[in-house]
Amino acid sequence: MITIIQEHLPQLLTGLLNTVFSSLIALIGSLILGTIFALFEISPNRLLRFIGKAYVEVFRNIPLLVIVLIFYIVIPMYIIKINGFMAGSIGLTIYTSAFIAEVIKAGILSIGKGQMEAARSNGMSYLQSMWHVVLPQAFKVVIPPLGNQFINLVKNSSILAFVAGADLMYQANSIASTTFQTNQTYLIVGLLYLILTMPLSYYMRHLEKKITN
Amino acid sequence: MSLISFKNVGKSYGEFKALKDINLDINQGQIVSIIGPSGSGKSTLLRTMNGLEEINEGQLIVDDHDLSNPKVDINKLRKDVGMVFQHFNLYANKTILENITLAPRIVLKENTKQAEQNAMKLLEMVGLKDQANKYPSQLSGGQQQRIAIARSLAMKPKAILFDEPTSALDPEMIGDVLNVMKEVAGQDMTMVVVTHEMGFAREVGDRIIFMDSGQILEDSNDPKAFFKKPKEPRAQQFLSKVIGH
Ligand SMILES: Nc1ncnc2c1ncn2[C@@H]1O[C@H](COP(=O)(O)OP(=O)(O)OP(=O)(O)O)[C@@H](O)[C@H]1O
Ligand SMILES: [Mg+2]
Repeated sequence: MITIIQEHLPQLLTGLLNTVFSSLIALIGSLILGTIFALFEISPNRLLRFIGKAYVEVFRNIPLLVIVLIFYIVIPMYIIKINGFMAGSIGLTIYTSAFIAEVIKAGILSIGKGQMEAARSNGMSYLQSMWHVVLPQAFKVVIPPLGNQFINLVKNSSILAFVAGADLMYQANSIASTTFQTNQTYLIVGLLYLILTMPLSYYMRHLEKKITN
Repeated sequence: MSLISFKNVGKSYGEFKALKDINLDINQGQIVSIIGPSGSGKSTLLRTMNGLEEINEGQLIVDDHDLSNPKVDINKLRKDVGMVFQHFNLYANKTILENITLAPRIVLKENTKQAEQNAMKLLEMVGLKDQANKYPSQLSGGQQQRIAIARSLAMKPKAILFDEPTSALDPEMIGDVLNVMKEVAGQDMTMVVVTHEMGFAREVGDRIIFMDSGQILEDSNDPKAFFKKPKEPRAQQFLSKVIGH
């Protein structure tokens, strides 16, 4: 095990960095997209509501791999060339955002409608009321389920391996196939994923405690 | 000219008519109390006045904004018409000071310093200056309601609508809130108050609106006379029930 780490350290580090980088892109992107589509889903406007529902239903009900392959194969064929890393990260963003939209929608709906009514009666527009009063409270409520989504996201980033995204899992496959040390390679990689997800999980719990106090 | 003017206004929820043929003109500076049995449409009537409920029939004009026109700029109207709710609805994620300064900063574009100075004056007026940095959940109901009134006043509105502002309060806190409302009434504010506080309606109010089944049954400009003997039998019945207890 030590020899694998010694001999393939640069490759493992590159993989780890790419996994972190891809996860960060997807985390920020899916949080923004998820919030926007959650707002669509509960919008007073019928068309926006329809778009929001359609987006969520479509993207959470098809496999992540299919979404990623669309960006890796279909989009480059007709629109713009993107590499495996970007295709994987975009696919991961969109897939995760559908789940995050549901989480945030539930959070918004859990905030009593009196908060929105008070803000509107105070002269603020719908969006101002959402932004300053309702959303901050909704986010607080959904920190635990959001944390679960983020952990899933980091693990799901291993999808990049399928599209030559040079992530941790991709490097693992390549190391395993050259060294034939399959068990040990995947054990190492598994531990590296834990090193990413455990602090994230700890941080989300810390955030939850800090905010509820 | 009247600040709030209803002409043959109707409002339904599906088949159910919550407001029927409402005709009502409220002048600048008037203190109007709306009373009546539960489910008679008091809240619905009040909430149409700042567009929280839409009307289906007739014409409603508030501060020159035609609320029967779907294209009306409702945010502009709400700058000038505040609302105080039964359950206070202070912004749970904001401190007391932020509750008061949020809308003036965002809507009236006051700078933070100006908004905070004004807020501190209002906090002093409602007797809660020392609570500025607390969160709403740390205050009693009566204190929260006084903050809610200060929050409305910070927008320097022409009118404030109150929907049973003391109904959710412990008896010993009602007096403090009523005192603040009296003080606001003394500042030439237009106030429309849905209330079960008959004392307030009689002593502070200029006018009594009695509602039943979505209609205005009696509209009196003499609260003292109304409470002595209302003209409508339904109002007599209602008063004998509330005051009898
Ligand atoms: N959103 C709604 N959907 C359907 N019916 C409603 C809705 N809001 C109010 N109503 C009905 O309209 C009628 C008037 O309600 P409103 O809340 O105005 O009464 P109220 O006089 O304020 O009563 P209370 O003293 O209990 O607050 C009631 O019968 C109520 O059930
Ligand atoms: Mg009511």
